Amino acid sequence: MQKWLFGPDAAVASQRRRDFLRGMQAIAPAAAATGMWGLVTGVAMVKVGLTTGQALAMTLLVFAGSAQLAALPLLAAAAPVWVVLLTATVVNLRFVIFSAALQPYFRRFSAGRRLLLGYLSTDMGFAVFLSRYADRPAHERGSSEQVWFFLGMAASSWLAWQSTSVIGIFLAAQVPAEWGLEFVAILGLIALMMPMIFSRPALIGAVTAGVVAVLAAGLPLKLGLVLAVVVGIAAAMGAEIALQRAAGNT
Amino acid sequence: MSDLSVWIVIAGLTLVTVATRSAFLVLGERFALPERVQHGLRYAPACALVALIAPELVVSNGTLALSLANPKLMAGLAAGGVMLGTRSMMAAMAVGMLVFAGLRHFAG
Repeated sequence: MQKWLFGPDAAVASQRRRDFLRGMQAIAPAAAATGMWGLVTGVAMVKVGLTTGQALAMTLLVFAGSAQLAALPLLAAAAPVWVVLLTATVVNLRFVIFSAALQPYFRRFSAGRRLLLGYLSTDMGFAVFLSRYADRPAHERGSSEQVWFFLGMAASSWLAWQSTSVIGIFLAAQVPAEWGLEFVAILGLIALMMPMIFSRPALIGAVTAGVVAVLAAGLPLKLGLVLAVVVGIAAAMGAEIALQRAAGNT
Repeated sequence: MSDLSVWIVIAGLTLVTVATRSAFLVLGERFALPERVQHGLRYAPACALVALIAPELVVSNGTLALSLANPKLMAGLAAGGVMLGTRSMMAAMAVGMLVFAGLRHFAG
């Protein structure tokens, strides 16, 4: 196991192992939150009507709590597949920015390995990794230490997420339907969203998106959602430009 | 939703995760994100989440339900408030669920 994971050279392997364990340690406080989040997602998946097999497949393959939770109300409302996928993509767009920030660290790897490293990157892992290594000069980016630290975080997050999701999936069957536990998915999305709206343009965009989504809730195929996101982003960017101009005039 | 579409959604979501998370890890050498696009992308997730949440909280059976007796609305506001005050996801979800259950219990 050790050889397979860290390579045959004993000295190199022990250094890699140390970096890997440090990564696991650094993410541990966040892994507790990840675990709670996994539990909630596991329960919510079953409560909106996925079968045990579907819920297990979703959690093991998708490995993205926010996208999964965002998809659930849409699945429950029988929205078209493309609307579900588009919504999840938009919710996941923050990872596109993260991936651009991680790129200097992982550029030496093959495309296949980069796909895997990307798949394993999470909100919390990204935050911990960059707070630790962002100030390193360009030529020190992508060292073995950094990569193994990243993998340690990823392993820890993955285990915390998957184990608790699976527990949630099996626990959900024990909870009576009248508890309305599927609502916890919406509460989870609220908790996820709050820290994202702390800047004025983001708040303006979010409020606009919310109002449009409510007004357009009657549109077929959940098109109101798509419309709301587009108008919300436009409002946020408009607000940003307006605020910059106002600041420039004073 | 049919069984088949659920499986298509699961496969699609997997691709979405891989594609968004490794987008610039794989393409970073060839493209750079223009500043303006980066800003737009930064706002997108918040807009999408609010657009998902808001109708769930205030639209009930196709009509606007902006009343204090709407358990989902009150629970959502409570969860948001707790999140603001404590920054704890756990606390926010627990309080939200308690308010939701409590109001539903007394309403019906």
